[in-house]
Amino acid sequence: MTSRNPSVQVRSIGKSFGATRALDDVSFDFFPGEIFGLVGANGAGKSTLIKIICGYYPDYEGDVLIDGKAVRCSSPHDALNFGIATVHQIINQGVIQDMTVAENLALADLLSKSGSLFCNKNKITAKAKAISERMDLHHLDMNQMVGELSQCDRQMIAIARALASDPRLLILDEPTSSISEREADVLFDKLNKLRDDGVSILYVSHRLHEIERLADRVGVIRDGAHGGVLEKPFLVKEIVTAMVGEMGDIAGRVPPTPKPNEVPKIELRDLVVDVASAPLNLKIYTGEIVGITGLIGAGKTELANVLFGLTMPVSGEILIDGTAVCPRSVRQAIDAGIFMVPEDRANKAIIPDFSIRKNITMPFLSHFSGFLGLMRNRLEAHETNRMIDAIGVKCESELSFINELSGGNQQKVVVARWLMTAFNLLILDEPYQGVDIRSRHDINTYIRTHCKDGALLVMAADLDEVLEVADRIVVMNNTMIVGEQRISEIDRSTLLHWTAQSSDEIREMR
Amino acid sequence: MQKITSISIKYGFLIVMVASFISFGLAEPAFWSWSNLFSILLGVTIYAILALGVTITLSADGLDLSVGSTAAMSVMMASYSMVVLELSGIAAVAVCLVIGGLIGLFNGLLIVKVKVPDLLATLGTMFLIQGLQLIPSGGRSIGTGMMLPDGEEAMGQFTEGFLFLGQGRLFGLIPIPVIFMLVLAVIVYIILDRMRWGRVFYAIGGNAEAARLVGAAVDRYRIMAYVLSGLIASFGGVLLAARIGRGDVSSGSGLLLDAVGAALIGYAVLGARRPNVFGTIIGAIFVGMLLNGLTMLNLPYFWQDFIKGTVLVSALAFTFSLAKER
Repeated sequence: MTSRNPSVQVRSIGKSFGATRALDDVSFDFFPGEIFGLVGANGAGKSTLIKIICGYYPDYEGDVLIDGKAVRCSSPHDALNFGIATVHQIINQGVIQDMTVAENLALADLLSKSGSLFCNKNKITAKAKAISERMDLHHLDMNQMVGELSQCDRQMIAIARALASDPRLLILDEPTSSISEREADVLFDKLNKLRDDGVSILYVSHRLHEIERLADRVGVIRDGAHGGVLEKPFLVKEIVTAMVGEMGDIAGRVPPTPKPNEVPKIELRDLVVDVASAPLNLKIYTGEIVGITGLIGAGKTELANVLFGLTMPVSGEILIDGTAVCPRSVRQAIDAGIFMVPEDRANKAIIPDFSIRKNITMPFLSHFSGFLGLMRNRLEAHETNRMIDAIGVKCESELSFINELSGGNQQKVVVARWLMTAFNLLILDEPYQGVDIRSRHDINTYIRTHCKDGALLVMAADLDEVLEVADRIVVMNNTMIVGEQRISEIDRSTLLHWTAQSSDEIREMR
Repeated sequence: MQKITSISIKYGFLIVMVASFISFGLAEPAFWSWSNLFSILLGVTIYAILALGVTITLSADGLDLSVGSTAAMSVMMASYSMVVLELSGIAAVAVCLVIGGLIGLFNGLLIVKVKVPDLLATLGTMFLIQGLQLIPSGGRSIGTGMMLPDGEEAMGQFTEGFLFLGQGRLFGLIPIPVIFMLVLAVIVYIILDRMRWGRVFYAIGGNAEAARLVGAAVDRYRIMAYVLSGLIASFGGVLLAARIGRGDVSSGSGLLLDAVGAALIGYAVLGARRPNVFGTIIGAIFVGMLLNGLTMLNLPYFWQDFIKGTVLVSALAFTFSLAKER
């Protein structure tokens, strides 16, 4: 591999934002036919580096070399012309939902200066077909609106489009953050194929298991500086140590064992969340953390929505301490002590132009206001600071804007807002999306030590994520609970098998 | 460099404002006289009040375009109540406020329940109200002695108490409407910046879905924003009716753009980049001051709209370009 010339190199890259030094003297080489994994903790500077390479920040120190020649990209468009194509983390920024698959694929053509002034539908479709060839997207209907597709297919379209320009370097920023394990497998197959075709791929992910599986070499950024390059074979543990230094294990924890005749904190009794769903039965005991895993579409989010009062169940009961409750709105759910951290933090959880303080106190504003609804600033500040310290949000102060924080720290804030008071049930739906390993560790440690009086439900498509925190794993597939295992008796392959079964197999099993 | 940028974002607008205040006074000392300063304030009162309502709806990611016609409706209804129905001044004010509240409620329901986008819904209401206000008086202005459809003359009058609202002066100097404007500004400031409701309005403006998922009754707050806006606009109309002393059919023209302009100029004040009460009031006063000063320096009246537009566009361009990287 080293005998070949690198297609793209970054040399001594540095970048400051005001007084903050985001990157300092970072150098990497990216070779053709290689998947280069880039890892780093939150705020270590990964995104900054990518944004420099793809032309988003034209103002930086050091050089980006393409085929050995230094180039200066002044815009993402420029970078694309130099052969650097990027697929960004947030899928929906990469595709236009109100356009068809064909139009999305052929977008570059529609926008190019040399293109025709008029849209020729046949031409677009032909072009789109050619582009989709490379990613084997035969199963997609070219005339379907992208908004109707699964997250995975949208991601594939974004990647296919990036490939249409025949890039020297393809940058993928957290490409699996919102797709399931099985979909990720499809993606990996395609990436491996692209590597064999000689494409150079820069792969950024928080999921170290993916990096371990996929990457040929791994580059580490640590606190804005070069943290070393690891060659194959690498171990997850090594990568973690290179990223963040030694890290203690999550405090050893003995899963609570329910006493005989103990009334469960939360019980679902034949709960049917949707007309097409099977009835769900589940008991969660006080102090227990139950992890629900399953592919996207297995029914996790639908269940969460019912528990949180967003949709009404078709039939069945939800019991708290043996008493039936039926939240008809989010407010009623909150009043019943059922809280939820929704998936898709950026769109559903944070209020971007609010400070950390204002974000954290949103659910319980009435606790922080007195006479006539006047806000009690001092109490608000005090409680916010308490939570920031407790869960370890890295920030300048409680008044920093939340969108200045890294993904992991934003997530800490979003989780912390529900931990200010006691709860019966806290639901975390895909809580680790775009959250680095250190923050994940902090969040898990905190919730593990603070769920003594309540029940916790963690939902994630990624099995490893739930294994890390849960006392008991429940697998959902095709709207049904297909099996469960206690953490002490985990068998990964059985769990994965349950996850991946087809609906016919499940029916046979019953 | 960075420091200069951040200072100019924060204080640029106020610096320009103080600078023009000083220059006008130096060029034309009469500009600094108390009576002139209060006439500036009086001149901006009505649309500044309307702009407060607009600010509330903007904070919740809406925009009420019907404030101008709501105020005009209020002018006509106040006149109609007193001149034709011969009601008392207090009753007339009550009628106006109720109608204003109902218009706001109508806007809110149209937006929240029927799901018409804010701009279109309030634009529609604007036309609706503009037409509706003409119907009771048969399209004519309302004044004592006007001919009614049944051939009789309307004998009612604007009560003195009512006229005082628009024409009175405290200590013979401070116009009553100016006091109302300042009091209302303080009230709306407290609602938006000091109370829990304002927090929710801004949260909805920032990310309505996130606000919903922390338990905020988003729909109810949206409706409330428009009701408040309607109430405030109709009160602005009451003051306007009291100032002109008759139900003039053309009284509402131009109010809307001035009000929305003031609220948007407010984005530039103290680098807020979002709707805020202090900015709105300062924005309204700035425009009034500029027009007053330029008129004293013999600027022809037909320049006025151009000046307002220039201020608005420069203020917006300034805030959004310089503050981009925050």
